[in-house]
Amino acid sequence: MAQPHALAALPPGLVWQANCLARSAVPGLPTGFAALDAQLPGGGWPRGALIELLTARPGVGELSLLLPLLRCTPADRWLVWVAPPHLPYAPALAAAGVPLERLLLVRTASDAETLWATRQATTSGACHAILAWPKRIDHSGLRRLQLAAEDSATPLFLFRPADAARQPSVAALRLQLSAQAGAVRVHILKRRGPAPAAPLEIVLPQRPAWRAGAQTALPRLHVLARPAPARSAFAGF
Amino acid sequence: MYWLALRLPDLPLQVFSRGSADPGLLAITEAHPRQQVVAASPAARARGVRAGDSVASALAVAPDLQLRPRALELEAATLTELAQWAGRFTPQISLDPPDGLVLEVSTSLRLFGGLQALADTLVDELRTLSLHGQLGGAPTPMAARWLAACRPGTLIPADHGWQDCLSALPLAVLADAGVGQDILMLLHGIGARNLGDVLRLPRDGLARRQAAAVSAALARARGDTPDLRDWFVAPARYTATVAMAAPTDQLAPLLFAARRLFAGQAAWLAARQMAAEYCRLTLVHESGPTTVLDLYCGAPSRDEARLGLLARERLAALALPAPVEALQLTSGAPVALAPKSGDLFGDPDATQHNAGLLLERLIARLGTDAVIGVQPCADHRPERAWRPVRPATRPPAHASAPGLRPLWLLAEPQALRYRAALTLLAGPERIESGWWDGADVRRDYYVAQHKDGALCWVFHPLDKPDEWYVHGYFG
Repeated sequence: MAQPHALAALPPGLVWQANCLARSAVPGLPTGFAALDAQLPGGGWPRGALIELLTARPGVGELSLLLPLLRCTPADRWLVWVAPPHLPYAPALAAAGVPLERLLLVRTASDAETLWATRQATTSGACHAILAWPKRIDHSGLRRLQLAAEDSATPLFLFRPADAARQPSVAALRLQLSAQAGAVRVHILKRRGPAPAAPLEIVLPQRPAWRAGAQTALPRLHVLARPAPARSAFAGF
Repeated sequence: MYWLALRLPDLPLQVFSRGSADPGLLAITEAHPRQQVVAASPAARARGVRAGDSVASALAVAPDLQLRPRALELEAATLTELAQWAGRFTPQISLDPPDGLVLEVSTSLRLFGGLQALADTLVDELRTLSLHGQLGGAPTPMAARWLAACRPGTLIPADHGWQDCLSALPLAVLADAGVGQDILMLLHGIGARNLGDVLRLPRDGLARRQAAAVSAALARARGDTPDLRDWFVAPARYTATVAMAAPTDQLAPLLFAARRLFAGQAAWLAARQMAAEYCRLTLVHESGPTTVLDLYCGAPSRDEARLGLLARERLAALALPAPVEALQLTSGAPVALAPKSGDLFGDPDATQHNAGLLLERLIARLGTDAVIGVQPCADHRPERAWRPVRPATRPPAHASAPGLRPLWLLAEPQALRYRAALTLLAGPERIESGWWDGADVRRDYYVAQHKDGALCWVFHPLDKPDEWYVHGYFG
């Protein structure tokens, strides 16, 4: 009968114990949130993996969660957004520190094009992160994306509706996101390691952090671009 | 001096068959001096069609034989293309019509690792152009040409007495050197069977029988008199044409033929240490105007695989008006490009290169409008505070920071039906602008929380306090 401490004395990586997070050979990319890093195998977003983010509706903080990652895009890599449902708003992204000159917005006409563009971006090895919003994607499509992601060293974020949580998926990491007052609640549905105990609540500094019900007044801003009528002047002066 | 002669057997056929993997039953005919077959594809030869047959007898053995008239201009163009391609092996090239080239390679031997290695590389790389060639090597161009024709693959070393190796060649080679058929008959009649026999004949006797051309040709081949040749001068831009064996509108054969052209262009550019930023692929139809494809690389490049990928995306998206008969490639103005040097610790340019390649592929398939970057724009109106730009455009250095803005903006504000589901958290921020260009905006913006927690950016027009719209989400 092996003693627990005997197991612990084994060199790391030789035996994986089911109650520990899986270790990967390369450390993950830091998420920017210590509480989330502690719960993810590799201590961050896994490189070269398919990551599913499940949200019921836009506006729960799904982009704010990725902003620390997007902010540190190197100057020779792209940040590809494939078929986003709305317009990524440049002034807000610039204010958040995202390098806009590296952002590549890809609009597609069909699901097949979305899948194609996502795979091209993943296999190119020239992207810092890929964000994709496929409308419908089947199991074989997911599998192909996962294989493409594994061959690269690029995290591939796939945004899917909340009801996709019921379907099985080959993604290495699945997070369900829901809004909480001033924070985002992250429920880890799947990761390489033990099932997490409770959903995390992550406070997002970029988001307006008001508690529900408590109305805080912003300083009243008034943009008025309407000059007062010019005073009439005598001709010749 | 050491010369390699490259000869393309069946050149009239090869110019048509190189564009496809299998030419099928094809014969090339000429009208002068009489209607006859000059070359036939392997399938046709298997059916019994021979070069020199009359057209009628060829059709008698193979009724479904496809006949194409001989295209002399295309043969000359192919020879020119070949000479441009051969520029990567040696700068000293001379055209040797009707069906070959001679290359002076004595200065290239060391670079390519010896004569045999050079000859092997040349024959191997010739296959990327889908041409089939025969090689011979000798210290004079004429001897090299004779060897390529009669003993393909023979490379005579330039030792003392190499001329003796020519003695075994048949008399027929003299026809190449301008010796008339009647003289050949005469030599045959007096018992000469090969060049060795002719050399043993007394010179004055030959001269008296108007056969001085024979002596002159032999003297040139043996290096006794100089063989003066014009060097080939390549044009300033690469142009090449490939004819399809049969008119087609299928993607695979077109791409196959296009890759031949890209390979030729890449070799041409590599020989000059240059690169081109774009090239033009012209599809020639049987009738009607030609279709022109301009292939743009993001940066000067001579990578044939890259052009192949771009052409694949463009051809796949193209609706051809008619089957294609021939493909023409014209390269853009070449610019100097230093070759890449190997790096011990990985290639620092690889990521940059891949980034450009990804952008090209996405644009080639989806179009310029579908792959964009975004930039903030100095305007108070939210829908005008951004604009689409070409990817990798640097944003202006100082971006004014407006108030709190959402990460998602809706293309059109959405009318809100259930105002009760929202709690206003902050606001109002009044935006009142644009009276001068017709897109007047007078709104009060609020940050609102949906009852399930999502944050929205909502507004109501100043003059309609009861109409609410969602304009963005704090994603």
